Amino acid sequence: MLELVFVIPFLIGIVAFFSPVMMGRILLVATGIIEFALACMAAWTTRLPAATFYFTAAPEGCLVLLVTTFLFLIIGLYTLFYLVETDMPREHVFNGCLLLFLGAMAMVAVSDHLVVLWVAIEATTLTSAPLILLYHSKGSLEATWKYVLICSVGIALALLGTFFITLAMEHGSINVPLTFSSLQEVAGGMDALWLKAGFIFIMVGYGTKMGLAPMHTWLPDAHGESPSPVSALLSGALLNCAFLGIFKSYAILHAAGMAQWAGNMLVGFGLFSMLIAGVFMMIQKDYKRLFAYSSIENMGIIAVGTGLGGLAGLGAMVHLVHHSLLKAALFLSTGNILFGYGTKEIGKVGGMAGLLPMTFIGFTCGFAGISGFPPFGLFVSELLILFGAFKNHSFFTAAAFILLLILIFAGISKHFIRMAFAGRDAKLIREERLGRIFPVFILLAASILLSLWLPEPLRRTILDAISRI
Amino acid sequence: MGHVDIVLSLIFLSILMSLGSSRLLELIRVMSFQGVLVSLVPVLIEPQYQTMSLAVAFASLMLLIKGVLIPLMIWFALRKVSIRREVEPLIGYHASLFAGLAMILFSVFISSRLQVVDRPESTLLLPCAITTIGAGFFLLMTRRKAITQIIGYLILENGIYLTGTALAGQMQTHYVVEFGILLDLLVGVMIMGIILHRINSTYDDIDTTFLKQLKG
Repeated sequence: MLELVFVIPFLIGIVAFFSPVMMGRILLVATGIIEFALACMAAWTTRLPAATFYFTAAPEGCLVLLVTTFLFLIIGLYTLFYLVETDMPREHVFNGCLLLFLGAMAMVAVSDHLVVLWVAIEATTLTSAPLILLYHSKGSLEATWKYVLICSVGIALALLGTFFITLAMEHGSINVPLTFSSLQEVAGGMDALWLKAGFIFIMVGYGTKMGLAPMHTWLPDAHGESPSPVSALLSGALLNCAFLGIFKSYAILHAAGMAQWAGNMLVGFGLFSMLIAGVFMMIQKDYKRLFAYSSIENMGIIAVGTGLGGLAGLGAMVHLVHHSLLKAALFLSTGNILFGYGTKEIGKVGGMAGLLPMTFIGFTCGFAGISGFPPFGLFVSELLILFGAFKNHSFFTAAAFILLLILIFAGISKHFIRMAFAGRDAKLIREERLGRIFPVFILLAASILLSLWLPEPLRRTILDAISRI
Repeated sequence: MGHVDIVLSLIFLSILMSLGSSRLLELIRVMSFQGVLVSLVPVLIEPQYQTMSLAVAFASLMLLIKGVLIPLMIWFALRKVSIRREVEPLIGYHASLFAGLAMILFSVFISSRLQVVDRPESTLLLPCAITTIGAGFFLLMTRRKAITQIIGYLILENGIYLTGTALAGQMQTHYVVEFGILLDLLVGVMIMGIILHRINSTYDDIDTTFLKQLKG
């Protein structure tokens, strides 16, 4: 039964609300292991859903599910050690909501019905909001309010878009279930105008959640103000789930023969996101917000790749996997830096190479990876997207893509060098601990491993996923 | 003029009332009234629904949630917070009312231009849905208090639900799925209520102009 993949975390999450703190921590890791096993089974053996009408194990969904559950497992391990050293207020709420959040994301990954997908994406907003609010500081309050309100309103627009798609079906006198898999087959007969209108609304709606500019305004605040494990999950897992909504809708338009139009829109939003992220990264003073903007940039890259299609589509999928791994590693590192210096300001962090040597190694590798250096996977994916752009003769896109990557690299490396080497007068308030560092290395190693050797089943899942765009 | 048109006219009225009301309590009452009306529309528009027990049961559930439960939750949140109970708009009430009238005109114009499925039951349904969405956005943008922003979001959601009824034929109705939407809405308002409470205990007010620390 495929539904187990989200039913289990929902149930365990409710249990965790009412169980003592230690048990909640164990439940986090145990659920992580169970979920990752279930995700592997869903991806590589045929697991049929009980409610075939609402759920399916589509390849793109399986890919997102694999990434999400793997990240959750590693972040769960990190959280074990993280919680020992922080006095988290209301920790049972933290553990419970983290599990419910995982359940909601798993539900997004396996849903097939358009409205069920919508319900699941809205559920991810609601289950993650308490995680950002935990510390009750003024900043986190503001961030949560913006997050809930902007995302709820944005996602409401996606529901409107979904209704437009039902109208497109009705105009084409098509009577099939409102699922992505069945719409794919009849896409050619749907009313083109309403299908386009629906896609615009879905793009804006789920794009808000995915963090595409100019709808990204909630993202830096939410990522910057939440505890580091939550930032890692938001950036590495949640944004992919919202992307899934756009990807599946795009596949319908592709099948209806409107790939050019919809692709251009994706490329436009993607390049604009990269531009906004690049500009704001330059002037950033807070290192968590810096990496939040880097997430906007990478979501933009994924949108560009998807919009170009073909080889670039493959690049987008590879990018999604590696961005999740590397960004989670970076956000977990920022957690360690925050532990070490007790500040989020870039200007007050310095001399990391001497003071926090192991964190420094992880952070440097993460920085190299996110900037697209080999042997990390983003090197491969960004090259694939560039090759795809050249193959499509989209020379303007390719040129803009390269220029924006340079701008972003300049911004991020300026701050990185400042944090790693300059400012030797910075003071440590806490030493680094191995327990908080080895999850970072696991994530980095996973990215290196996957860029050198892609296991056959994973390769097939990725290729199946892009076969429809 | 059928039952549907009467209900839809009342929805138009509730929109204008929501734009013109200066007291928070009054605004909540208007919203509750609108919630009840919106839940009635699908049952009234398809006469055969009135004999289907499932449709009637779902409509009553929605009426309970949109008309009673959510307004009660917001009312409780309001009772705990904020001494000043005025709406404090960025755009005045008269200008808001005028904007509401303009929105009605505009949506009637748009609906006449759109080619949607013929719904002989009511020509007012689509204009009403579009106006409600517009009014929801208007309240979201022009009212400063966090509580009025929640109400704006709920009115927007009502409008989207009406659009769904107006556009999508009933063949795609699945009560399981619609219940999911409703549940999301309920939990969403609950969480917004909690944040509201926190905003109030931190700033002693629920004015969102305080929420401007995070920049860049």
